[in-house]
Amino acid sequence: MSHRWGMSVDLDRCTGCEACVVACHAENNISTVGPEEAERGRAKHWMRVERYWEGEFPDVRLKFRPVLCQQCETAPCEPVCPTYASSHTPEGLNAQIYNRCIGTRYCANACPYNVRFFNFYNPVWEKPLDLQLNPDVSVREQGVMEKCTFCVQRINAGKIEAAANSRELRDGDIRPACVQSCTANALVFGDLNDPESAVSRLSRSPRGSKLLEELGTQPKVTYLERELWQESEGIRRG
Amino acid sequence: MDRRDFIKASAATGAMATLASCGNPENQLIRFIPEEPLFPGIATWKPSICSLCSAGCGLLVRVMDGEAQVVRNGQTGLLKMALAKKLEGNPDHPISRGKICARGQAAIQVTYHPDRIRQPLRRSGARGSGEFQEISWDEAMSEALSKLNGIASAEDRKTLGFLTRPLDGQREVLVSQFLEQFGAAPATTYEVFGESVLREANKRSFGYAQLPTFDLARARYVLSFGADFLGTWNSPVAHSVAYGEMRQGRPGVRAKFVQLEPRMSQTGANADEWVPIKPGTEGILALGLAHVILKSKLRTPSAAGKAGELIDGWSAGLSNYSPEAVATQTGIAPARIERLALEFAEHGPALAIIGGAPLAHTNGMFQALAVNALNALVGNLGKPGGLFFTPWPSIAVGSKAGRGLRDLAEEILSASKSPVQVLLLNDANPVFGSPPAWKVAEALSKIPYIISFGSFLDETSTLADLILPDHSFLESWLDDVPESGTSMSVASIAGPVMRPLHQTRSMPDVLIEIGQQLQRRLSLPWKNFEQMVRASVNVLPEELSSLEKIHEKGGWWSEAPMNQPNWVQTARRQTPASEAQFDGAPSDYPFHFLPYPSQAFLDGSLAHLPWLQELPDVISTAMWSSWVEINPKTAQDLKIAQGDIIAIKSGHGTLQAPALLSPGIAPDAVAMPIGQGHQNYTRYASGRGANPLSILSGMTEPETGAHAWAATRVRIEKLERVEQKSPLILFSGGMREHEETHR
Repeated sequence: MSHRWGMSVDLDRCTGCEACVVACHAENNISTVGPEEAERGRAKHWMRVERYWEGEFPDVRLKFRPVLCQQCETAPCEPVCPTYASSHTPEGLNAQIYNRCIGTRYCANACPYNVRFFNFYNPVWEKPLDLQLNPDVSVREQGVMEKCTFCVQRINAGKIEAAANSRELRDGDIRPACVQSCTANALVFGDLNDPESAVSRLSRSPRGSKLLEELGTQPKVTYLERELWQESEGIRRG
Repeated sequence: MDRRDFIKASAATGAMATLASCGNPENQLIRFIPEEPLFPGIATWKPSICSLCSAGCGLLVRVMDGEAQVVRNGQTGLLKMALAKKLEGNPDHPISRGKICARGQAAIQVTYHPDRIRQPLRRSGARGSGEFQEISWDEAMSEALSKLNGIASAEDRKTLGFLTRPLDGQREVLVSQFLEQFGAAPATTYEVFGESVLREANKRSFGYAQLPTFDLARARYVLSFGADFLGTWNSPVAHSVAYGEMRQGRPGVRAKFVQLEPRMSQTGANADEWVPIKPGTEGILALGLAHVILKSKLRTPSAAGKAGELIDGWSAGLSNYSPEAVATQTGIAPARIERLALEFAEHGPALAIIGGAPLAHTNGMFQALAVNALNALVGNLGKPGGLFFTPWPSIAVGSKAGRGLRDLAEEILSASKSPVQVLLLNDANPVFGSPPAWKVAEALSKIPYIISFGSFLDETSTLADLILPDHSFLESWLDDVPESGTSMSVASIAGPVMRPLHQTRSMPDVLIEIGQQLQRRLSLPWKNFEQMVRASVNVLPEELSSLEKIHEKGGWWSEAPMNQPNWVQTARRQTPASEAQFDGAPSDYPFHFLPYPSQAFLDGSLAHLPWLQELPDVISTAMWSSWVEINPKTAQDLKIAQGDIIAIKSGHGTLQAPALLSPGIAPDAVAMPIGQGHQNYTRYASGRGANPLSILSGMTEPETGAHAWAATRVRIEKLERVEQKSPLILFSGGMREHEETHR
């Protein structure tokens, strides 16, 4: 059976702790750019936690929303790439093939979610920080666009592990770094082609919606809305 | 030339050609023989314990082979060795349950930090100049021994001091035994967010001198008085795991969560109802809620047992705390107080939590006792969905008590000759973390000789004369008995996950070695710390005490009932309501100043990690920055715009930082994250931003001596012309939203 990887994000569980953000850095060899470049808007965070203020003091609310590549089925970043660096894999991932990328940055312009990051300089890990680098993930050089891969190295490792044990992949075998670290278990990852997988079930939730769905991008990340408490403990939408 | 000579000659020229072609000097380094069996490319997982805060999360560390440039026996070379690659939570561990926080994820950078101290250092310049000279361990140990032998007479032994951040497990036992046998006073422990107020209050109310554990997963109503329990307080990972269950883990049941605080924290942002309250009035509100519950006869006063007896006027129904009276003090409308009280009493299991700023007022003890009484009133102690105290296993623990930092500094400054002649300094940075009025830097400078075990030069360890650098936690034997975060009995134990990268030695090993080599030898019965940790598990129930098994798992844990409460035998006096005192008259200093532990840096001890510096703060989105949160209306009145550099003035100092307009803060308060403003703390943190602790008053909670860090008032001045040394750097996602301002 072919896979179609997807994720669900339960905004009612998310606490905004940002463990996912740092876990992603550690897993995927994302370099820090330093304060000067960060000030120019060049910091790289494949995973970020957006926050939205509603209302004014004292009746104020703050909502968190973890945002990563939505792995769109019809991805705006793909057709604009002149070198096919930004391309669709058979399992539905929006892959970035680094050695094809010539740095036009068209894809970042086209992406409505702002989740593509450009390497303006060669990355620097001041020694011996480089000893932490994950050997399963290639380091990107200057002039190359990079983005969330749904931790494709973990997907491949999971498949190899299952094959080595002569069995099918099980739901939950594969967890990207953000999902593994998510303290409140707000992030769930799995195969959308398997209707019984946890992510498929959650994606069908009446609380579910997709980010900027109206653009027709067909994202594979589903957000489950935060709820509000009611006296009766009946549940209504937040 | 015969064939044999030809081969020799060509081999030699080949080798020379290879050497000449190596432009990269690393390729000319000699290669050491690996010290351990390695399987290239195969990852193994080893248990460890996160040591960045006191929660004690169990880790699983991904370890793989790699090539490190190291110094061994004075020679630099390349060594193939097992290296930690990624930290994850240990799924079996009762605290972390497979998760760790953002800070824990970044903890691996401590080991690989480029500015780690790599071998012993002796001060070569003036104190505080930061000039040190590298020396060998032999030289360093003989210098340390001669200093300690120099205070060996019965009279002088008392002049050995030990200043440390709070220690865990066998480290604590070792340090207290070392000091006791040497003849010195117990260690002084210091951390910015010490929890002595809450421990003392819990001892009086419930008989447990411990931080509380909350069964959030089964609670139906949670009322939090300023506790950032999902972010930085107590055991945030354990709380977050349970919080997810509290929200969506039970079909048809979703708890209500109310947060009361003057500045919206990360935790507060998740509340169903966020209620701003005047700083220092949380205890009054708790008693106001109790008043409504008692008046409406939902509970009787006696339901609260001893915790209620401690409160003045409790048995009479707290007649002074009518909703109207409480409303004037707290700023919360009477009808809302009544509604919250009834919801709290009627939607059990209900839980009240107090932590952080409300305890850091001069009336912190009263506030904690009031909230404890509210918990006791709804009868949640030891019940599902209620309040627990983690049962401790029978492992030996050290003594916690020692002179407070403030008293220590005062003693040193008031004497003509410093009562501390040699100070051992372990992983505490009070020069950064204590209020200027305590004059800690001045006091430490009066101590003739300071030995630090620190891994980094910071504001305090630069005052040291000798530095004996410790291993990082991933290179050490670790053990920990968690104080809170689980209702199970836990002893975490872990060996090193990798060999030491640098020429460092573990602090407990150094203490044991010193103890053995002193002229007046101490009788510490262990060869090294590993042996001590191994010996400590022998007391655990036998079938579980096989160290190999424990080690594989990352510790020992078992379901256990709470220990028996340990009631204090002294007279149980009633605590009258006390109003919070603030430093600075409202006319001169119109704003409450609310410093808070930052999501990335906690008390500032993590500001040296580049991942955390570049982590966008979840409330402000700021990276690499300091900022002052100010209500937009207040900012408008003062003509302050986002990013303007403003001066914050208290009666004790001034600092400058950019303004961040935030709707989540009361108009009469300004808030600032703690963590930046280091003068001297590695290349990533030095000279960046401002330290809010540097303008705090030295006021304390009188019964425990804990620093009342939320009790300072300030005024704000807009600065017209300033050099923007530390601008506000915000992350907006992606790379398109910033204008290119400078090319």
